Amino acid sequence: MNDDRAIRVLATAALALGALAVVAGSPRKSGPALDVAQLAREVSNESDHVTAVELAGWIRDRKAGLRIIDIRDSASFEESHVPGAVRQSLDEVAVAPVKDGETIVLYSGGGAHAAQAWVLLRSRGVKDVFFLRGGYDEWMDEVMNPRFPRNAPPEERAAMDSIAALSRYFGGVPRNVDSLIVRNRDHDGQASWKAAVKRARGRGC
Amino acid sequence: MITPFSDGGYASGAAALLIGAAFGWFLERAGMGSARKLAGQFYLTDLTVFKVMFTAIVTAMLGVFWLGWIGVIDTANIYVPETFLIPQIVGGVVFGIGFAIAGLCPGTSCVAAATGRIDGFAVVAGMFAGVLGSGILFASLRQFYDLTPRGVLTLPQIFGVSEGLVVFAVVLIAMAGFKVANRIEQRNSAA
Repeated sequence: MNDDRAIRVLATAALALGALAVVAGSPRKSGPALDVAQLAREVSNESDHVTAVELAGWIRDRKAGLRIIDIRDSASFEESHVPGAVRQSLDEVAVAPVKDGETIVLYSGGGAHAAQAWVLLRSRGVKDVFFLRGGYDEWMDEVMNPRFPRNAPPEERAAMDSIAALSRYFGGVPRNVDSLIVRNRDHDGQASWKAAVKRARGRGC
Repeated sequence: MITPFSDGGYASGAAALLIGAAFGWFLERAGMGSARKLAGQFYLTDLTVFKVMFTAIVTAMLGVFWLGWIGVIDTANIYVPETFLIPQIVGGVVFGIGFAIAGLCPGTSCVAAATGRIDGFAVVAGMFAGVLGSGILFASLRQFYDLTPRGVLTLPQIFGVSEGLVVFAVVLIAMAGFKVANRIEQRNSAA
């Protein structure tokens, strides 16, 4: 009988606490995991992206834990993609599991979708995630078909040669041209090869 | 707010040891080291397992909810495993089959082994062999392992209601479940 009484008391207490929970709503939680100010800092100090040349270096050097995600449509992916990349839609990227020690590089056709995917992953707390700002076009222009001015100053020549060697590693065709018609410009308006050289030299990213 | 013992250091190790020992002790005292008692659940003659497990769920749920509400613990720090629909359904089926065949689940098999039951040792050995095997084969299992990811899902999120409402619903379901379980046991023991 005592057991029955104890069970009744406990059951009533559980029901009462459960009913009160409806009124209480939700327990307190610490602030959102997304630190917007931190994301803004990463964007402004440009640690949110990699250049195609840097990515090519990571692939060639077999960077541990590197995962490259192509978020273009499957037809474009089938046609050609960055070596080692896997295709995922934006929806899949939003929920895809990420292991500790993985470095994620995202790219899309241009750069917008990859940048949005970067925000999605960073808001999930994934730290080592970058995107190709110029997208797959940048890969094609900077790694597969880089063009360098024939009259480049000698101090820039060494960096250009190393990019040219990297390009050949991936089966690219680097060319020296008399006059450079700039197809891509980075956000500062610099010719893209120049930005690549600057990064290859100073690793300013 | 704090989340005690979440530092991954000695304190959390000591807390885990104490909680584990207490868990094992109470499982054994509740008779959960006996495969016959556990198998009774599948024959609907003894629903102790169901009642003990649901009681634990309700107690933990109310504890976490209210401790979070008054600010003693930070529920944002509680790890919620991600959902992978198909692999977890398959895993649940495999687990259920193993449970019904062995009459023991992971926790109770350790309790059974600790009390010297041979079937307990056999299940523990099988469990470790399974863990080791899946670890060795993980590279080839990886594709299946990552199928149908749904991210972190919780009931309030799925139903779009407050956590408090889900808490109350689970308490009601538990109470109804206990009533039904008692009736089933009485009917089957009378038969």
